Amino acid sequence: MLCIEARSLSKSYGNVAAVDSIDLSVESGKIFGFLGPNGAGKTTTIKLLTTLIPSSGGTVNILGIDASQDPLAVRKRIGVVLQQPSYEPTLTVEKSLEKYGMMWDVDARTRRRRVEELLSAFDLQDIRKKKNDDISIGQRRRVQVAREFMHDMDLLFLDEPTVGLDPSARRGLLDYIKGKVRDGLTIFFTTHILEEAEYLCDEIAIINRGKIIAVDSPDELKNKFGREKTIKIRVGNVQNISDMLQGAGSYEISCDEGTVITIHSADSEQVLVKILQVLNSNNVTVEDLSVVPTSLEEIFLTVVKNSDTGTLGEP
Amino acid sequence: MHPIFRLVNRNLTISLNMGFVIWQVIFPVIYIFVAGFAYTALIHNVPFGSKNLDYPAFIASGMIGFNIMNSTLISGIIIWNDRRHGMFEQILVGPFTRAQYILSNVYTIGIIGLFSAGLITAIGYPLFFKSVAFNVFTVPLVVFASITGAILFGSIASIISTRLKSSEGFNVIINTVFLFFAFVSTAFYPAQGAPPVLATAFYLNPLTYLVDVVRAGIFGNFTDTVGYEMVVLVAAAVVLFGIATKLLSRLEI
Ligand SMILES: Nc1ncnc2c1ncn2[C@@H]1O[C@H](COP(=O)(O)OP(=O)(O)OP(=O)(O)O)[C@@H](O)[C@H]1O
Ligand SMILES: [Mg+2]
Repeated sequence: MLCIEARSLSKSYGNVAAVDSIDLSVESGKIFGFLGPNGAGKTTTIKLLTTLIPSSGGTVNILGIDASQDPLAVRKRIGVVLQQPSYEPTLTVEKSLEKYGMMWDVDARTRRRRVEELLSAFDLQDIRKKKNDDISIGQRRRVQVAREFMHDMDLLFLDEPTVGLDPSARRGLLDYIKGKVRDGLTIFFTTHILEEAEYLCDEIAIINRGKIIAVDSPDELKNKFGREKTIKIRVGNVQNISDMLQGAGSYEISCDEGTVITIHSADSEQVLVKILQVLNSNNVTVEDLSVVPTSLEEIFLTVVKNSDTGTLGEP
Repeated sequence: MHPIFRLVNRNLTISLNMGFVIWQVIFPVIYIFVAGFAYTALIHNVPFGSKNLDYPAFIASGMIGFNIMNSTLISGIIIWNDRRHGMFEQILVGPFTRAQYILSNVYTIGIIGLFSAGLITAIGYPLFFKSVAFNVFTVPLVVFASITGAILFGSIASIISTRLKSSEGFNVIINTVFLFFAFVSTAFYPAQGAPPVLATAFYLNPLTYLVDVVRAGIFGNFTDTVGYEMVVLVAAAVVLFGIATKLLSRLEI
């Protein structure tokens, strides 16, 4: 079943097309990653999908509900952690969780149970009696994310939830989210940390200048855009290694102080064989060799760069 | 529970902290007792309709209107704080409509206004009990005036909340409005005997109307003038509430 279905969704601010006729399909029970550079339109898309702002065109269907027909019915079934911080400065951490549950009409017993659960899961026990005004920014972000789990929902939007979190809090949050997804929750997630997206997401869309420029699973994205691999070869100190390798094919090559050879190439296997032959015939001993697959980060950079220069599609 | 009541519950929880209650009690008590008795030496009696009030009774009754204004300006700040701390967007992306958010603020302001009026009536009662004329007509009048006044001042604070962007600007404006309303009114001194310019300025101030109506209710002195003042109060509240609602419903996210 499709949990989110958007067709030709657009939003303009004056002349700026913040979101430019995008199509999105997100299946239930999945974690959908939404990536893109600053100002690409991620937050605007989330605001449109969560009915916070009206669109300039297109349709949105959330959990089978037409969002323009019944926005309140949509909002009752989703959770949203916005990019912008939000908190009640005068309430303590535990009270703000409790009151948030009350606002969502969660019964008092369930509220009490969830407050305890979340205080532990988000490592907030030590600061539970502190006011939101008196805690650190990262702690406040943790409260804001934890708070959203006070109520039941079928779909959760997270706009850069891990910003400002330390590595262990970040990993804790990602694993908490994974657990919730196993229990049936669907997640729409934005981040600038690509390892996070890789660790978490079943599917990834990349948006740039309001347009979606790639959608696929992380592995498929790598297959499509990341055939280029990096080979690093460490050899003993040899003179003129660049000259030596000159004839071995057309590829990007750099030699670091004549000891480490770095090669970028799409057909890495063939290139590697040739280079090893050359090195062998020159009696150069290979001390270490590694092949690094392209990271999601490099794919992101490639795809965005291609879209900026107008060479859409595969590199 | 109905969504509006859930929002009211939340509004009251964030507003009624210890600081607010102390401010609501200590400040008027100081005024009523310290200023009330200090000025008695200067102002012996204030003629009020057919009665002659002593100054502490006059100021205690004036403080009811003052406290309604004070508390509702503060609770009108809910909207300002919600915008500043991101809760405005968070609530609107939750299981609520904008109309429910607006109405919840009106109810909150009404409740806080009544609470303040009740509090000061209780504190001031020993001072004006000799002259009070509570009956089936005057008590509803005081309650009605309190709620109308609360909505009026709550709307003013809401309008300011929606128009401003910086905290400094907000504080300066709220304080200026507050000072003008508080001291250019009949809350602390009667219009009779004041210099004519000041007496006219008193009647450009909604607090004067609120205070006069509340006093008329407490001391059972309902004249034609008070009737007109009631009409002005209601009209001003309706107009300002309309403007506040319009601005709030258009507020960009
Ligand atoms: N309220 C607004 N008024 C005018 N322009 C806006 C508004 N909100 C966003 N924009 C513009 O729309 C575009 C998309 O902004 P958006 O906030 O969606 O980006 P984003 O992908 O979330 O970026 P970031 O990674 O920095 O959070 C930007 O060019 C931004 O300047
Ligand atoms: Mg954003």
